[in-house]
Amino acid sequence: MQYTSMEMEDFRPRVGMAEEDLRKFNWNLLILQTILFGIGIWNLISASGAQDKSFGLYKTQLIWFAIGLCMTAVVLLFHYSLLSRLAYIIYFANIILLVLVLVAGKSTLGAKRWVGFGSLRIQPSEFMKISMVLCMAKYFESDRTVGGYGFRDLILPGLLLAVPVGLIILQPDLGTALILIFTFCSMLLFLGVRTRTLAIIGICGALAAPMVYQFGLKDYQRQRLISFVDPSSDMRGSNYNRRQSQVAIGSGQLLGKGYKKGTQSQLNFLPEHHTDFIFAVFSEEHGFMGCTILLVIYLVFLTQGLSVAYTSNDKFAMLVSLGICMIYFWHTFVNMAMVMGLLPVVGVPLPFLSYGGSALITSMLGVAILTNIANKKLMF
Amino acid sequence: MAFLGQEQQVREYQDRFKYLNAGLAIAFSILLLQLLNLQILQGDSLKVASEENRIKRVKIAAPRGMIFDRTGKLLLDNRPAFDLEVIPQYLKESKRIEETIAIVSRITKTPPAEIRKILLRAKHQPAYLPIKIKTDLSRDEVAELKSWQIAMPGVSVEMEIKRTNVYGDLASHMLGYIGEVNATELPILQKTATRRYKLGDSIGKFGLEQKMEDTLRGEDGEEWVEVDALGRRKLEKYRGRFLAENQGKSAIPGRNLTLTVDQDLQAAAAKAFGEKVGSVVAIDPNTGEILAMLSRPSFDPTEFSRGIPAELWKRLLENENKPLRDKTIMDHYSPGSVFKTITAIAGLQEKVIDEHTKFHCSGSLRLGNRVYHCWKKEGHGEVDVVNAITKSCDVFFYRVAQKLKSVDDIASWAFHLGLGKKTDINLPRETSGLIPTEAWKMKRIGQEWTAGETLSVAIGQSYVLTTALQLANTYASIANGGTFFRPFLIKKITTVDGELVKDFSPEVLDQTRLDPKTYELIQKGLWGVVNTPNGTAFAQRLPGMDFVGKTGTVQVMSLAANKIYQKCENMKFRQRHHGMFAGFAPMHDPKIAVAVIAEHACHGSSGAAPIARAVIKTYLEKYFPERYGEKALEVQGKAGTIGVFPIRADVEDEDVVPGIQNSSMHDDDDEPVAPQPQIKRTED
Repeated sequence: MQYTSMEMEDFRPRVGMAEEDLRKFNWNLLILQTILFGIGIWNLISASGAQDKSFGLYKTQLIWFAIGLCMTAVVLLFHYSLLSRLAYIIYFANIILLVLVLVAGKSTLGAKRWVGFGSLRIQPSEFMKISMVLCMAKYFESDRTVGGYGFRDLILPGLLLAVPVGLIILQPDLGTALILIFTFCSMLLFLGVRTRTLAIIGICGALAAPMVYQFGLKDYQRQRLISFVDPSSDMRGSNYNRRQSQVAIGSGQLLGKGYKKGTQSQLNFLPEHHTDFIFAVFSEEHGFMGCTILLVIYLVFLTQGLSVAYTSNDKFAMLVSLGICMIYFWHTFVNMAMVMGLLPVVGVPLPFLSYGGSALITSMLGVAILTNIANKKLMF
Repeated sequence: MAFLGQEQQVREYQDRFKYLNAGLAIAFSILLLQLLNLQILQGDSLKVASEENRIKRVKIAAPRGMIFDRTGKLLLDNRPAFDLEVIPQYLKESKRIEETIAIVSRITKTPPAEIRKILLRAKHQPAYLPIKIKTDLSRDEVAELKSWQIAMPGVSVEMEIKRTNVYGDLASHMLGYIGEVNATELPILQKTATRRYKLGDSIGKFGLEQKMEDTLRGEDGEEWVEVDALGRRKLEKYRGRFLAENQGKSAIPGRNLTLTVDQDLQAAAAKAFGEKVGSVVAIDPNTGEILAMLSRPSFDPTEFSRGIPAELWKRLLENENKPLRDKTIMDHYSPGSVFKTITAIAGLQEKVIDEHTKFHCSGSLRLGNRVYHCWKKEGHGEVDVVNAITKSCDVFFYRVAQKLKSVDDIASWAFHLGLGKKTDINLPRETSGLIPTEAWKMKRIGQEWTAGETLSVAIGQSYVLTTALQLANTYASIANGGTFFRPFLIKKITTVDGELVKDFSPEVLDQTRLDPKTYELIQKGLWGVVNTPNGTAFAQRLPGMDFVGKTGTVQVMSLAANKIYQKCENMKFRQRHHGMFAGFAPMHDPKIAVAVIAEHACHGSSGAAPIARAVIKTYLEKYFPERYGEKALEVQGKAGTIGVFPIRADVEDEDVVPGIQNSSMHDDDDEPVAPQPQIKRTED
C-alpha cells in the first residue's frame, strides 16, 4: 500500500505484470461489466429479433464491445495521473467535437448527434460525460476551500458545465444534457456547497423553471411533460410509449414470459425497444425475479465503483471515480424510472444493456478508468 | 500531481460516502417498489392489456345463400373474384420496384404509368395496407401472376367472393343487390336487426336480397390472429409461437332460396320486351306462384356486388327510364281499358246489366254539361257486354257506371280481385295502388264524389292506380273464377346441404266467387279481344292455346282536344301513351295469367300484348307439351276446333265471323277519352 512519489512520476508503460500483481489485480468491475454486457447482448438478441429496423443489431454491438476492450487495455497501460495532465485538453477537444457535430453532424430523427469519420460514427456528447468529470476533478483537485463553496467559487465550474450542456441541448439531446447536469450537481454536493448558496440556487431554479418550460423546451418535450403529469391527455401520442412500456414490464409478472417470448417487444408494440426501452424487454421476458437480480447486479457494480472512490489515494482519483459512478447511477436510475413510468420520457440509455456504440464505449471507458484507479498501487 | 497530504484530504471526504450509499439505497428501493407495483400488483391487468394488444379477432365472412329458379337453375351465385394487391412496404423492402411493376404491367396489360399512379394515390395511407391494383383478374392472369409470385415480394393475388347474377340483368330487380352498411343505416339496424351489423358489412339493399336478408345472410365466423403494432398479421413462420389456445369459429353459410319463377320464361319475356320500357308479371292462377317478373330497363347487380362504381351509379340514376326502379311493384299506373273487365264484373254481379243488356254507342255520352267520348269517334253502335269488352267500347261502361249505385260497387269488386292494396309479395318497396271510393275521396280530398268521376273510374281512369303485379293477380283471379291468391316468389328455403327449412304453399286471400254466368260472359269478352277480328288484340292470338285478355292504352298527359286523336307515334317519347295488357291462358283450366305494362309504347295491342303472348306461349309449350306442343296443336288444328269460342258450338256473334274488318283497325285500339279528370302516372 506504500508508494513513493518518485515511482509515480514514471509514466512509461510497463509491459508484463508479475504473477503476484495479477493475483492481486482488482477484477471486480471488469467482471461485473462483462456480466452486465453478457446480459445485455443476450437480451439484445431477443430484442433485435423483431422484424424491424433493429434486426440483427446485436452483432454490431459485439463489434463495439471488442473495440471497447481494446480501449480498456490501452487505458490500463497508463497511469491515471496522465488523465490529470490531459484533463483540460480532453475537455476542450471534446468541446470542439461537439461544435463539429452542430456544424457538420449527421442527423437522425431531427437531431444532430453524430459526427462521422469515414464509416465510423461517434456521438461526442456521450464522451462529454467523462470529459466533464475529468475536467471537474482537475479543477477541484487542488482546491482547499473550507466550509463549502459559495457563489463566486461556482462561476467558473458553472461555465465549464454550461458550454457543453448548451452545445448538447442545441443538438438537441436533452437526456445527455440532463445527465451532465445531474453528475455535475452530485459532484458539487459531494464536495460541499454552502447552505445559503444552495438555497438561493434552489429558489432561482424554481423561478426559472416556468421560463425554461415556456421558452427553453421544444414542443415535443413540453408535450411529454404534459402527458406525464396527465396521462389521459394524449393516449395515442407521447403517452403511448409510456403506456406500452408499462404494459411490457407489468405483463412480465413474477417470472416473465420467457426468453424471446415477450410479445410487446417481439411484435413492436414497445417503441425503441433496442435502445432506451431495452429494460422493458428484459422485464417482460424475465419478470420481477429477473429484474431484481439485474437491479442487484447494478447495485453491486455501483458500490464497487464507489469503493474505488472511497479507497483512492488522491483527490483527483476520488473525484474521477465518484463522477464516473454518478454517470452510471444517473443513467441507470433515470432510464429505469422513465421506462417504468416514474419520469417523463427522456432519451437516456441504460449502461451496458441499451444498443449504441458510443454509449457502450463510454461506459467501458469508465470501467477502464475505475479499474486503473483501483489497481494503481499494483501496476506502478 | 500526488501532493503530499492528498490521502489525508481523501479521508476527510470519506464520511460523506454514507450519504451516497443512502442515496443509492433510496433510489434502488424506489425502482424495486415500482417493479413490484407493475409486475406483481398490476401484473394481471397489464398482462391482459398486452394480450389485447396482439390478439385481434378477424371476421370470416359467411357466404350468402344462393338463389335458384323453380327448375333448380342457379340464378344468384357466389363466385370467386381474384384481385391483384400490392403491399407497398414489402415492395419497397424488396428493392425490385421497377422490375415488379414491369412484370405486373405485362401480365395484366396495364401501363406501368397507371400502376405507379395507383400506388402514388395510396401514398398517404400506411405502407403495410394492401392496395388493389386490378380487380377481377382472368384465370390466365391469376395463373401467370402466381408463377411469378416468388420473384415479386409484396405482390399477391387475393380471392374475394363476388355476388354474381348468373343471367346478368335478367331478374335483377327481383333478386336485388347487396351493398355496404352505411352510417345512416347503422343506427336503424342496431335497433331493428336481429343480427349485429358493422359499418362496411354487406347487407341486402334491394329486392329479395333485402327482403330475405336474415335468411340469405349466414353467420360470420371468426378467427384469432396475432398482429404486430402496425396491425400486420404475423407471417406463417412466426405464428403459432404465441397462438395455440385460441380456436376460431367457422362461418355458417346463408340459406338457399328456390323461387317460383322460371328462368326460361324470364328470358322469353326479356326477349319479347327488347328495348321497350316497362314490366311484365306472370302468375299461376291456381296457386299465386309468380312465374316471371321482369322490369325493364334493367342493370346487372353483379357490377354492384363489390362496391358500385360512382360513374355507373350516376348513369343509372340519371337514366330517365329509371332502370333502378322495379316497375312491377314500385310504380303504379292508370290501368285504362284493362280495368273495364272489373267494371263489367261489377255490373253483372250487381245485376244492373245482364247478357241481354245493350247500349247504343254514338261515340260520346253527355253527362250534365260535359261530353264523355268513346275512343272510337264514330261510335260502336249497339253493343252488349261481350262486345263492349271485345271492342273496348267506352260508352257501354259509362252507362254501366251510371246504372250502378255508386263508385263503391266497382271498388268492392276491385278489392275482391286484389286491387287497391299491397299484395304482400316477398319483395320490399311494394306500392299499394289506389281504388277510389266515395269515403276515400271525402277523407283524402274533402270533396263529394261526382257522377262524372264514376264514369272515369269505369274505364280505368280518374284516381284508379294499379301495379303490374296487381293486374296480373287480378286477371289470375278472374281466370280462376274469383279466388284471389297471395302472390309469392319463394317456393322453399333450404340449407346449403339441401335440407328443407321451410316451404311455402298457396294462400287464399279472397274467395268471392263470380257467378257462373258472369264468368262465362267475361271469358267470352276477353276471348273476343284476342281471338276475333273485332278484338283489339286479334293479331296476337295463339291458335289452340285460347289466349284471352284485355288491352289498354293510357294517356300519359292531358291532351288538348285537337290532339286527342293525333297519332301517338308522332309524339315525343315521354308523351306517348302507355300500352297495357292483362290476360291469361288457356281460357278453361287457366295455367298462367300475365300483365304487361309497356311505357310509352303507344298501344296495348301492339306494344304490350305481344310480350304477354310470348310469355304464355313459352310457358305452355314448356310445361304442357303434350297439349300445347307444336305437334299437339297441329292435331287440334286438323280437328277444326281452333279459332272458335271453346264453350259454345253455335257461334252467333257477328264479331266472331272472320275477315269482316280490315286489319288496320288493330292499330286503332281503344283510346281514352278527351280531357277528363285523370291521374297521371305518378313517379314517386
